[in-house]
Amino acid sequence: MRKQAWAVEVKELTIRFGDFTAVDNISFAVKPGEIFGFLGANGAGKTTTIRTLCGLLVPTSGSARVAGLDFKSGVQALKSKVGYMSQRFTLYNDLTISENMAFAASLRKLKPGVLQSRTRELFKFVEFDYPVKTLVKNLPGGIKQQLSLAASLLHNPEIVFLDEPTAGVSPVIRNKFWALIRKLARAGKTMFVTTHYLQEAEECNRIALMREGRIIALDTPQRLKTQAFPEPLIEINPEVGGSRQWVEKLKLDPRIGCIQPYGRRYHVLIQNQAGWKKVARTMPKSLKTRPIQPSLEDVFIRLVEGGRT
Amino acid sequence: MSAGFRFSRAWSIARKEVRHVRRDPFTLATALGLPILLVVFFGYAIDFNVKDIHMIAADRDNTRASREWLKNFTSSRFFKLEPADPGQDPQSALDTEQAKGVIIIEPGFGNDLGAGRPAEVQILLDGADNSTTGIISGYLIGIQQAAWKKISSGPRVQPLSLQTRFLFNQEQNSRWFVVSGLVVVVIGVLSILLTALTVAREWETGSMELLLSTPVRPLEIIFGKLAPYLGLVLVSVVMVYLVARIQFGLPFMGNHLLFLAGILLFLCLCLAQGLLISVITRQQQLAMQLSFISGLLPTLLLSGFIFPIESMPPFFQYLTYILAPRWFMVISRGLFLKGVGLLELAQPLFMLLLLNLIMMGLALKRFKKDLEP
Amino acid sequence: MSQISIQIKNLSKRLGPNQALAGITASFEPALLYGLIGPDGAGKTTLMRILMGLLFPDSGECAYLDNHQTVAFERVRSSIAYMPQQQSLYPDLSVAEHLEFFRDLYLISGKVFQKRRAELLHLTRMEPFQDRPAGKLSGGMYKKLGLMCALLQSPDVVLLDEPTNGVDPISRREFWDLLYRLIRQKILVIMSTAYMDEAERCSRVLVLDEGKIIAAGEPLSVLKQEKAGNFEELFLQRQKAGRR
Repeated sequence: MRKQAWAVEVKELTIRFGDFTAVDNISFAVKPGEIFGFLGANGAGKTTTIRTLCGLLVPTSGSARVAGLDFKSGVQALKSKVGYMSQRFTLYNDLTISENMAFAASLRKLKPGVLQSRTRELFKFVEFDYPVKTLVKNLPGGIKQQLSLAASLLHNPEIVFLDEPTAGVSPVIRNKFWALIRKLARAGKTMFVTTHYLQEAEECNRIALMREGRIIALDTPQRLKTQAFPEPLIEINPEVGGSRQWVEKLKLDPRIGCIQPYGRRYHVLIQNQAGWKKVARTMPKSLKTRPIQPSLEDVFIRLVEGGRT
Repeated sequence: MSAGFRFSRAWSIARKEVRHVRRDPFTLATALGLPILLVVFFGYAIDFNVKDIHMIAADRDNTRASREWLKNFTSSRFFKLEPADPGQDPQSALDTEQAKGVIIIEPGFGNDLGAGRPAEVQILLDGADNSTTGIISGYLIGIQQAAWKKISSGPRVQPLSLQTRFLFNQEQNSRWFVVSGLVVVVIGVLSILLTALTVAREWETGSMELLLSTPVRPLEIIFGKLAPYLGLVLVSVVMVYLVARIQFGLPFMGNHLLFLAGILLFLCLCLAQGLLISVITRQQQLAMQLSFISGLLPTLLLSGFIFPIESMPPFFQYLTYILAPRWFMVISRGLFLKGVGLLELAQPLFMLLLLNLIMMGLALKRFKKDLEP
Repeated sequence: MSQISIQIKNLSKRLGPNQALAGITASFEPALLYGLIGPDGAGKTTLMRILMGLLFPDSGECAYLDNHQTVAFERVRSSIAYMPQQQSLYPDLSVAEHLEFFRDLYLISGKVFQKRRAELLHLTRMEPFQDRPAGKLSGGMYKKLGLMCALLQSPDVVLLDEPTNGVDPISRREFWDLLYRLIRQKILVIMSTAYMDEAERCSRVLVLDEGKIIAAGEPLSVLKQEKAGNFEELFLQRQKAGRR
């Protein structure tokens, strides 16, 4: 059956709070074992959508099937098939690691024996090696995130929703975290991730881009880039300081479409290839230029900002 | 430290606080609803008077004198007299809790009385119910005296009812007694609770960090925080005062200005206490619990509101000296019911002032200007 | 206009079981944007709070200079603006009410306030949201309101603790535009961030890890010195080096 093939299937989903439409008629589908990125500006409706798919909010209209279940048969069955790691830290700071896990397990009605073996297995899987008697409040931020993830995986869900799982963690932990997400996806779990770090969004199989409650783009990172940027993109890399005046000048140049700061570099959108060549010749040597592939951040800015009035 | 005190900054804190209160239905409901709740609760629901006490009368004498004597009970509405079942031991009514007391008049009562010998009546009371027993025995002494006079004075029946009324019609007095203490309870509980939450909330939501980074001074924060609640609690006090005067017909025998002075002193003290709690705990939940313990309990139990201080063990009697509600209770009742003047209230007023200085000093001292744990 | 610089020497601070700062020396000069770069728990917030006088160092010095003259902290306190990392605005007060509140706290005159307010609302593109309560602002707008409150008094020093954390890429860009405007007004800006790509945009960086400065200077020279292509790599290299 084709319908069973989707891990998440959303059709014309709308969620309103009072007269505010948080999610506006969106439709998409996620394959099992896929890493699905959910991007958008603050307040675009990402978290609302995730909460609905976890059965925490009731859709105003439209339908959603998660793990083959629709909400009409009750959300209880659904909850045993999804794991949710919230944006906000949801473990108890004044409990130890093992107490937190035991509590999470009791909510899922896991048997103590199952909890033991499952915790051991999970901690090994996420390479978590802190003493289980440690109070959670004494753990560093990144470790807490790992523990949250482990807690959300305790009942072996088919689909895991991660809402900004890597906010504020160090690059080292971030890399580790994404290695874990890939590992889980290879193990057949569907990973549904939101993030503001667009670099890490490159790791997703497919990305949905939300703006003001709607999905404005949905594709693989690569195809999103080529679709959003048919024109060439040039990176300017100022090797020494004092490039600002030049950039200000370029901003006013009619031959150049758009110039965006990117770290200490700049990305320049070329609308007129011949014109750009002329401009480039006048630039000082210290400004190194090279044609580049657009990054997801370029795509994000272009698509999200492009639609703003 | 208050060298740079600017009234405009304190005022801006106060205005912000008013906005919070206006937008927070819970605070408003607490401030205006709690006093009403307390008035209804203590004014109506809790009744310290005993009415319709079931008594069983076994009149084994059954003469005119004995019937006359018993009539005193039936005419009083505090007792409901029922004749004893002749086939039953009247005492069993106590065991089965059918009655709170049993009156037994042995045969010969009338004769003894007529002959001028001491006549005896046996009254058995259920000692398990301590409070009722005390009240009943109080009534009994009075009733007996009245009855005695009536009977022994023979045909010249005196209008004794007037005198007994004065002695026993405590119904209004007890209500007055409670309601005149309610102002103390309302201020004591409400002001501590409201202020305990306000500073704790700033800590809990993180806004204190931003506030402390501005040039605003602790004293300005304290002033600005307390002023709106001072106003809010004053409104509640006026409400309670009006209800007391109009609904319960309470007299006000003293000077209103003196009353206002007492209120302000006590109110500031309670606000300072709430502030101290808030400043120390920095958590709303903890602040709430602490303010109930340190606000509600002393006011209800140790202020003389219900339980007379004179009958407390010495330790608790001395303890009440450092409790503000006790002093304000003296002021409130003295002004409502007795009409005392400044001279009589000098001690409580002075004590309130002293405690005020201590509490304000502590609150200011403990007010943190940094985020050190 | 005064130009304030800050010099810290050997700052150490212990908070509970953690050594939040372990001997930090640095100096901050006006008209530059300093980035405190590091993951959660690196000591960024502790350093910010010490600079704002909200925490006191266990050892070490923190000196404030006004035009090269050492001055007491209390003298410069009112010209330092601070935006805490945690949410610290009042959710039930609107944008306009926040601005009025801070006007009163900083004793800003009505005329100056009107001008400044219009300027800030325009810069942050927040004009349409003046009546919205802070609790109903999106993450990016909330941070912008925090920045407006901090900038209302035209400070000489601006301390921003993770102003872009949890903010979407577009709002982050807008935020950076605002920061660049500040340093052009000769203001000293110190901000902390956990976004490694933002490190490259600062005039100077202090890379912090576990309470220590692991690298400092101009972003470019730091990267060259550490032989890293970007700051993300710098951290990953350190991790590998540590494991070896």
